[in-house]
Amino acid sequence: MQKATDQHSITKEFHLDGLAPAHEEFSLEAETVESQLDHEPVQGSLILNTEDPEQPEASAQIDLAGMDKPVHMVSIHNDVDLAQAVPFQHAHTLLESLEAQNVAVHYQCREGYCGSCRTQLLEGEVHYTEEPMAWINDDEILPCCCIPKTPIRIKLP
Amino acid sequence: MSYTTFNQKTFDTLKQPMFFGETVNVARYDIQKHKIFENLIEKQLSFFWRPEEVDLANDRKDFIDLPDHEQHIFLSNLKYQTLLDSVQGRSPNVAFLPIVSLPELETWIETWSFSETIHSRSYTHIMRNVVPNPAEVFDDITRNDFITRRAVSVTKYYDELIEKCSYYTQLGEGTHTINGHVVDINLRDLKRTLYLTMVSVNVLEAIRFYVSFACSFAFAERAKMEGNAKIIKLIARDEALHLTGTQHILQIMAAGKDDPEMGEIAASCKDEVREIFLDAAEQEKEWAGYLFKDGSMIGLNQHILAQYVEYITDQRIAAIGLPTIFGAKNNPLPWINSWLNSDNVQVAPQEAEISSYLVGAIDSAVDTEDFGDFDL
Repeated sequence: MQKATDQHSITKEFHLDGLAPAHEEFSLEAETVESQLDHEPVQGSLILNTEDPEQPEASAQIDLAGMDKPVHMVSIHNDVDLAQAVPFQHAHTLLESLEAQNVAVHYQCREGYCGSCRTQLLEGEVHYTEEPMAWINDDEILPCCCIPKTPIRIKLP
Repeated sequence: MSYTTFNQKTFDTLKQPMFFGETVNVARYDIQKHKIFENLIEKQLSFFWRPEEVDLANDRKDFIDLPDHEQHIFLSNLKYQTLLDSVQGRSPNVAFLPIVSLPELETWIETWSFSETIHSRSYTHIMRNVVPNPAEVFDDITRNDFITRRAVSVTKYYDELIEKCSYYTQLGEGTHTINGHVVDINLRDLKRTLYLTMVSVNVLEAIRFYVSFACSFAFAERAKMEGNAKIIKLIARDEALHLTGTQHILQIMAAGKDDPEMGEIAASCKDEVREIFLDAAEQEKEWAGYLFKDGSMIGLNQHILAQYVEYITDQRIAAIGLPTIFGAKNNPLPWINSWLNSDNVQVAPQEAEISSYLVGAIDSAVDTEDFGDFDL
């Protein structure tokens, strides 16, 4: 009985550096495993300059294997005719791209729920990076949450 | 049709219109007629905030230093905002819940109205921190003629709808004599009242609130009352969602797919809708006159605020598919955009305010394509 209690107290004893059996030994740093990869993993994100989304440094956008860069012309019409054309090259969204190239677009939420940036799409296709929540008619887009898929023509008020 | 809190009938939820169909029984969201309302609910929940998160210690000092006419502008504006949110904290529930027929829309209305009660609580938080005696300011809301006049224009459509609906739910369609008054209740007229009420709510959320935001942000643009502006920023984020909600309801009604009779009503009401927008714009301009009666402030005066009223009115009427009224294409207060955008000041996402930062959110949308290059 006495012996059992002793045994018990030993197992409960606590050491900072541990009395665990050798095979259960652990250290804070994980065992280093030699990498089986003979090539670098494909970089899947775009690194962008936060200052000016359309003027990143020379090597800002990394080529993704098998993917075309979403570089398309954006033609901007006003009430009467073609006002200007700017390229979409690097920005996260069409709105960012337009702002960086001094095209004024109304905005508020910048994530698709307020509808302030509602713009008429005359030609072309866009891809939504986030589901637009604001009401848009069939011929309208929300530049704050899309990028062009093809060259596009839009009409700003 | 009398209101029941749990409709015992079995019916196809997806065949109900948004309003004036069967009253909702099971609060189920597995099948949805209009998914947008579920999206709005989720977004609104992710926006949850508490007024106490914002520190207003500097605002008290700023307020004491403001000249008298600017104190008048600040307090009157705050009184107006308090009035608007007092109305919005209860009215959607009282007016729309008895007649709503879709579970997701019912829950959106409740979620929407609840968030307005947070706004009301935040005005008390501001008053407590800024003025020595908040009661004086709150008491003035029902005593000041300029404010009470605003209340009439904000609530008359709601009150008319609530009155007619209560007769409809008690007595049904037909001509009734109530306390000596003859009241004619028919469903088409009720739907028309509902449509116009929804337009007036859209005007409240989309124009009246934004005019008041412009005043709040004009102080902050001069580095005054910045705590207040931070609260208003959070309120503006909610209001942007609410106006999207009312725009969706109005567009769904106008499209007529949900309820063909509602589509006809929307088409026949265009002149009245325009009139509601125009009246609201005139009332807001008149209010600007009262705000700046003793003098302007740097960056904002009666004239510029009136221009903003015209700009925002045009934006909002265009959003519900009607022609613009004033032809005001340029925002006279371009700096307001950066204040209205709630995400551009916060640095640490865990400090609660970046709307896209959802606590515990997981993207569980898995497409078969995601397993495209997966071999066993």
